[in-house]
Amino acid sequence: MPSVELIASSLASGFLLGGILALTALGLSLVLGVMRLVNLAHGEFLIAGAYAGLFLVKYTGIDPLLGLLVIGGVIGLLALPMHQFLLMPLAGKGPEAPMMTTFGVSIILQNAFVLAFSADTRAIERDYANVALTLGPVTVAQIYVIGFAISASVVGAVHILIAYTAFGRDLRASAADADAAATIGVNVRRVHALTFALGAGCAALGGTLIGIAFAFTPVSGATYLLTDFAIVVLGGLGNILGTLIGGITLGVLQSIGGVVLGDGYRDLVGLALFLVVLAFRPQGLLAASRS
Amino acid sequence: MNCQRPTAVKWHRAKCPRRRVAIGARAGSALVALVLYSAAACAADDIVVGASIPLSGPLAGFGSFQQWGYKRAVDEVNKAGGIAIDGKKLNVRLILRDDKTDPNVTASNTETLISRDHVTAILGSCTPVLVNAGALVAERHRIPLVTACDPLEAFKSVRKWSYAWDLFFHEPDLAAAPFRMLEAFKVQTNKRVAILHDNGPDGQVVGGQVWPEIAKSTGYEVVQNSSFPVDNTQFTSLIAEAKSKNADIALVDAITPQAVALRKQMASANFTPKVLVIEKGGEPVQFAQALGKLSDGVLVGGYWDPSFPYPGAADLAKAFEKETGQTSSQHIADSYAAAQVLLDAIAVAGSTDAQKINEAIAKTDKTYVVGPIKFDENHTSKLPIVEDQWRSGNTAVVWPSERATGKFLFPLP
Repeated sequence: MPSVELIASSLASGFLLGGILALTALGLSLVLGVMRLVNLAHGEFLIAGAYAGLFLVKYTGIDPLLGLLVIGGVIGLLALPMHQFLLMPLAGKGPEAPMMTTFGVSIILQNAFVLAFSADTRAIERDYANVALTLGPVTVAQIYVIGFAISASVVGAVHILIAYTAFGRDLRASAADADAAATIGVNVRRVHALTFALGAGCAALGGTLIGIAFAFTPVSGATYLLTDFAIVVLGGLGNILGTLIGGITLGVLQSIGGVVLGDGYRDLVGLALFLVVLAFRPQGLLAASRS
Repeated sequence: MNCQRPTAVKWHRAKCPRRRVAIGARAGSALVALVLYSAAACAADDIVVGASIPLSGPLAGFGSFQQWGYKRAVDEVNKAGGIAIDGKKLNVRLILRDDKTDPNVTASNTETLISRDHVTAILGSCTPVLVNAGALVAERHRIPLVTACDPLEAFKSVRKWSYAWDLFFHEPDLAAAPFRMLEAFKVQTNKRVAILHDNGPDGQVVGGQVWPEIAKSTGYEVVQNSSFPVDNTQFTSLIAEAKSKNADIALVDAITPQAVALRKQMASANFTPKVLVIEKGGEPVQFAQALGKLSDGVLVGGYWDPSFPYPGAADLAKAFEKETGQTSSQHIADSYAAAQVLLDAIAVAGSTDAQKINEAIAKTDKTYVVGPIKFDENHTSKLPIVEDQWRSGNTAVVWPSERATGKFLFPLP
């Protein structure tokens, strides 16, 4: 029988880690909800963020957490040409072609990472990532607490952006009915381009946190893509706050799976849950209303 | 058509591609004859040796060392004038293919090396999953394959090999090394051991079977024995369990990305065992580069060091570091030795006939850069084990004492 400390620490870690994973899934949810695009290159945007954080600290000495906005902005800008030249020409030609395009981009980016940065395992070395916080019976990694706080802040900021700004209004209109939005003057192409960039930027932020907390290689994105799909389905497509709750739910359930069955079964628990939700509640566990 | 090169390391294509033959065919029968003659001459002028190795994916750290070791052995033979085949000196051409750390790709690459590149013999990939995948294909085609980087029990467990040969460490030796070292140094611990290992073939052997058996037989108590998928990224519960069971000794068997993540998560969970052994993933220099000072004090089994008293050991490491600017790895030595064993066998056979080369490999009995190599009835040759310890980005041999190049750091910083 696991000890109280083990159970409490695992659940708390799962809660916090789920929050971080929500940030990695946020961009996927946005792009899927607004553009109806399954972005299979999302994991590579995440890894691009991890490399950006790594090289930021290596060449400038700036802590990647302080440079998060720069990292997100740069990766978001770099994603814009992909939308402009690869995805936009495929608009209105069904969902398959854009999805397969992102699959191709994913492979190209993985190979580009190998060529540019080698295939070595990397991690962003920060002292604060190796510190434990203890409160009563609960011990969690300090980086999980920091990551959760950043993730919740970004999710909140994106929620405000979408719920209370003119861009958010256009985005919601485009998501509800792109043709109707266009007839009332919404520049749907611009909205899609900015949404794609925002999604890539959010993925990059999540990737930087992953790089600090764990390790990554050029092909690590695929692992996180799978987890992110589960979070998006749990939270509901395009539901911003739902993504955070979906991430936390998955994190906690994976931790329960880890405690009961062992850490090797974390993904099994997550993916089993993903399939169950998909079968019985495809709109997501949470209410279908969008932020 | 000049098909000879001092060193021809090829990526995904051979020196004499079929396309050239096809173009010749279209140009007319005379040209066909000329091109086919040239192609035949090309094939006859090179001894083609192939390898599928992990140049990308999680095991790319190993693959880069293998690439260097294989290439160096071939370069040396070519610089010395090549190998005499039927009385005529021929250069060796090395064809390398990237298996992307995927056994399916290793198998298909090996098929391609045999069927399209017409290799005379093959050098192995790295880790049992990849090596065995390629070896099975070579075995089916009856093409000799010499490999390292595949622990011997994991290699032997696949089948009774006829054409595949393995020189590497024996898992029981590796598994026993930490315990033998602790006993030799009379290290004071509570003798409680936590074992965390992946569920790959060698992880199952070392972590699932050998470590628990040796721990029990040497008076240690295994308080935890947990396995996880090879690509697992979260170890929170496993680490929390090891911590809650007050294990002074943690034994880990995982590939590098997981080894790095596990070490970081140990630190962030405030779990610092007195002795930490990380086999497999703790070996490449990328492990220390990714972790920085967190790698200090981590122990890993080793089978080679430039200080070993074998011919060319010190020079090999110096050459690697001079050429690449990187810290050397023991994997340059085993890959270099595997290639030398194969090239020596081709020279002894004096032929590119697979059967003759295979028979020559079986008769290998020589001291190479990794030590004496002589294959047993299972086609394996055992390398002696030492215990290495990381410090400031480099490893030092800390056990056995007669081979030590540094003092044992205890407890783990």
